[in-house]
Amino acid sequence: MLRNYFKIAFRNLLRNKVYSTINIVGLAIGVASCILIFLYVKDELSYENHFSKADRIVRVAGEVIFEGHQDAFSVTPPPLYDAVREFSGVESVTQFFQAGKQTVWYQDQSFTEDKLLFADSAFFRVFDYAFVAGNPATALSTPNAIVLTEELAQKYFGGAAQAMGQVLRFSKDSYTVTGVYRDQGHSHIAASGLLSRLTVDSQTPEDVRNNQWFNLNRYTYALLPDPQHIPDFQKQLDVLTEAHVNPWIKENRLSAHVKYIAQPLKSIHFDTRYGGDGLSPKGNISYVYIFGAVAVFLLLIACINYMNLATARSAKRAKEVGLRKVVGADRSQIIWQFIGESVLLTLIAVLLALALVQIFIPNFNTLTDKNFTSDFFMHWEFLSVVLAIVLFVGIVAGSYPAFFLSGFKPADVLKSDKHPKGGSATLRRALVVLQFSISLIMIIGTIVVFMQMHFLKNSDLGFKKEQVMVIDIPSGDSTLVQHLPLIKQKLEQHPKVLQTSNTLSIPAEGLSRTLMLMEQDGEMVEKTMDAIAVDHDFIPVLGIQMQAGRNFSPNIKTDERSGIIINEAAAKWLGWADPLGKKVITGNEEIADNSARVIGVVKDFHITSLHSEVQPLAIFLVPQSAGYLLARLAPEDQAATIQFIQEQWRTFDPEHPMEYFFMDEFFDKQYRAEEKMLTVFGYFAGLTILIACLGLFGLASFTAEQRTKEIGIRKVLGSSVSDIVLLLSKDFALLVLLAIALASPIAWYGMRQWLQDFAYRVDLSWWIFAIAGFAALAIALLTVSLQAVKAALLDPVKALRT
Amino acid sequence: MNKEELVIETQNLQKKYITDTVETTALAGVDLSIKRGEFVAIMGPSGCGKSTLLNILGMLDSPSSGVFKFLGQDISNATERQRAKLRKHNLGFVFQSFNLIDELTVEENIALPLAYLGVSKAETNKRVQEAMERMGIAHRRNHFPQQLSGGQQQRVAIARATVSNPALILADEPTGNLDSVHGREVMAMLAELNESGTTVVMVTHSPSDAEYAHRIVNLFDGQIVTENLNVKRHAAELL
Repeated sequence: MLRNYFKIAFRNLLRNKVYSTINIVGLAIGVASCILIFLYVKDELSYENHFSKADRIVRVAGEVIFEGHQDAFSVTPPPLYDAVREFSGVESVTQFFQAGKQTVWYQDQSFTEDKLLFADSAFFRVFDYAFVAGNPATALSTPNAIVLTEELAQKYFGGAAQAMGQVLRFSKDSYTVTGVYRDQGHSHIAASGLLSRLTVDSQTPEDVRNNQWFNLNRYTYALLPDPQHIPDFQKQLDVLTEAHVNPWIKENRLSAHVKYIAQPLKSIHFDTRYGGDGLSPKGNISYVYIFGAVAVFLLLIACINYMNLATARSAKRAKEVGLRKVVGADRSQIIWQFIGESVLLTLIAVLLALALVQIFIPNFNTLTDKNFTSDFFMHWEFLSVVLAIVLFVGIVAGSYPAFFLSGFKPADVLKSDKHPKGGSATLRRALVVLQFSISLIMIIGTIVVFMQMHFLKNSDLGFKKEQVMVIDIPSGDSTLVQHLPLIKQKLEQHPKVLQTSNTLSIPAEGLSRTLMLMEQDGEMVEKTMDAIAVDHDFIPVLGIQMQAGRNFSPNIKTDERSGIIINEAAAKWLGWADPLGKKVITGNEEIADNSARVIGVVKDFHITSLHSEVQPLAIFLVPQSAGYLLARLAPEDQAATIQFIQEQWRTFDPEHPMEYFFMDEFFDKQYRAEEKMLTVFGYFAGLTILIACLGLFGLASFTAEQRTKEIGIRKVLGSSVSDIVLLLSKDFALLVLLAIALASPIAWYGMRQWLQDFAYRVDLSWWIFAIAGFAALAIALLTVSLQAVKAALLDPVKALRT
Repeated sequence: MNKEELVIETQNLQKKYITDTVETTALAGVDLSIKRGEFVAIMGPSGCGKSTLLNILGMLDSPSSGVFKFLGQDISNATERQRAKLRKHNLGFVFQSFNLIDELTVEENIALPLAYLGVSKAETNKRVQEAMERMGIAHRRNHFPQQLSGGQQQRVAIARATVSNPALILADEPTGNLDSVHGREVMAMLAELNESGTTVVMVTHSPSDAEYAHRIVNLFDGQIVTENLNVKRHAAELL
């Protein structure tokens, strides 16, 4: 019997090529998207899974309430290490911090490494990385030891075995390789190597290590006996802050309140609340949701095509159903036959989908910043997901046609002059409306995201980010910093280098909040605000406008210690009608030297992305710093100019490779998440509309076929081709209009939510919806009219004879 | 075999079709008994209820009221599943428009009832072969229905109706779509089947086809108006 079903299914597929193609292609696209998205979601959810103790590791994060303003940090003070070690029910504690950008020498080669951590010997007790060489228990228990990932050992020494015992030179110290481990899975700790923390601890003052509770620079992790201990651990943290940390802060006259939070390891990847979390890029759980929803939608639309086409052409299968019943099939047998048929079709679609996945994996990798390969094809987990998709889609898509077709009464369908109507037209229409609503939501989403991106990139930021080259000055090289005025001079001699600036801070970089005393109604009031340190040329190089007062001047020596520039937002926030000359005290108020005066006010400029409003800002003068060198270049011949700058730079710093980037690219990186969203929306909006149109094409052709006789009669009675096209297209146009009415409010609501993330955003004007609706309508009508014209041109004599 | 056993017995069989506005009576109280081995022809003008009656007898449709006994068992209120079971074990159908499955070959079409009966593969092959030979279509076994003439298609349909050795064959205008030569061929086959013991009930417009039956039932406006014994056929049998 099964063979019989398959035979019929196969012969039906071959006989109805258009119908089969529409279904198989639609389903294949849906399934391929599902597979790719499954890979993405699985990968995103796999963080920390390779640590066998992952579910009982917690990170201590801190919330600081400062002037009613709450900040959250993933970094904690050094003394927390000893304090947590005193806790009951803690198996192990490890504390580490980022080494920053380091230049590493081996023999005569040098490399820049920025993913190294200073860690203690407990690190490998908590995080059980697999060691390729060396002993995890002792690898970091001596100063000047370094443990490398297999990758880094390969890069420097050509293998793990060769690396052991070798010495790597850093600018301050040298380190001996004591171990090599394999970094086999995703972790938020994306380190390429670990340096023994003992090396630097011995150089850190004891007071900082033991008593400074407001120095937030280290990551602290604890290993608990089991996950149930987390609440107890949290209680001990609360006791610590109330009994010790907050009293200490008060004693040191800081008006802050601290709370420590035990954060389960596995939750870290998606938790974006905590600042200073620079270990690895954060995951975005809303992407996981958006991708997931898109996958389900695509598959749903493809399933709807199958259901619609299967019921529409049910008239053709009715006789077979009737006959099978006559010779003794009962209803359940017919149901299983049709479900089997859709499972078979899905199976073919899935094979095609696997080919599509193979082809599109590289594009998908770019889109998601991942590194998927097709190795997973033979993995049991993957195969079982594919099997689940086949069965799920086969049964979901097949069930409605199966129940519908199996309900035919043989007595009705076996009469040659009687044909059953092709299923419930109302349901089919409702499903088409659903398909087009989903497509429209995607189209509207794409337009809105595109417009917002255009807006973000082209808004007036209050400074000119274009044609500004930024050179990263390596830290720890004091001679280079001393030479900076000379370097600036040399560079500016080139006609295409318009102006340069040496600055500690640049826009789009993390800002630090500084505590200051500011004059308000004749009294000095404690305030915190964002602060940046720049040289004399920063404001002109970036084209920032002065609103009042003046820029820092190299001729006025007092500017360096007692000059301060604020922005308009700061003046407004402080209630200063005339800010010039107002008194500001930074640092410790007992040192009178630290008092400064406001010498200028700049017009507001966006130092951070347009996600947030312009915040009050204080600008200090630091004429020479190991931050960045900015160079405004003339737009023409930039390659030659850059080469000139590189040559000049090398004469001053032959040791480090010169690292540079452009201000506009750096600033726009802040919109990477949105840019990705735009690509995702763009691709999938295209796919949803494509699959929906495939379905519409199929439906239109069946409608035309069903109405052949009617069209023939109309033509005999004098109807023109355009009348017929209109007749056939009108119904579908109505469905799309209904979809527009349905989709618009949903899309409006969703996109309004999305735009809430931005302090500066585009308006959701009516014409966005009009454009999307018009586009959908045009595509749908084009699809339908192809069929309609074909039907209308048919010879009426032929049409009436059948 | 007990010749007097009743295959079909109906009492006051009624069928009404009710739509939103109109109630149409298709059968207005039919009393009919058919004995095992009989060949009965049902005749009457279009719309008299012939096909409705045949569909109810074939358990493809259920009566609105009245009693319908099949092999002595009352099935007026049987479920769809019970009727499907009775159908596949006891009935064979032949239609005016042949109703072969276009996607299956001659051989596969004939084998279909056996598949639903769960007959083994070897047994199926044997019985299909016999049926094809009996109908003279064995050389066409791998052809699809559209590749055959009308007469050949109807022979395939008869082969399919008889392959499971049903007690009763229901034929609905079996010669309606055939020319006279092929029509006579088909009638001869039905008569032959009847002679070998199968009960046949046939709906027809054609008086010449009706000549093959033992008994002719005339239906008018949903009621039996006359029942005539076919003297010729009885005489032939008595000889």
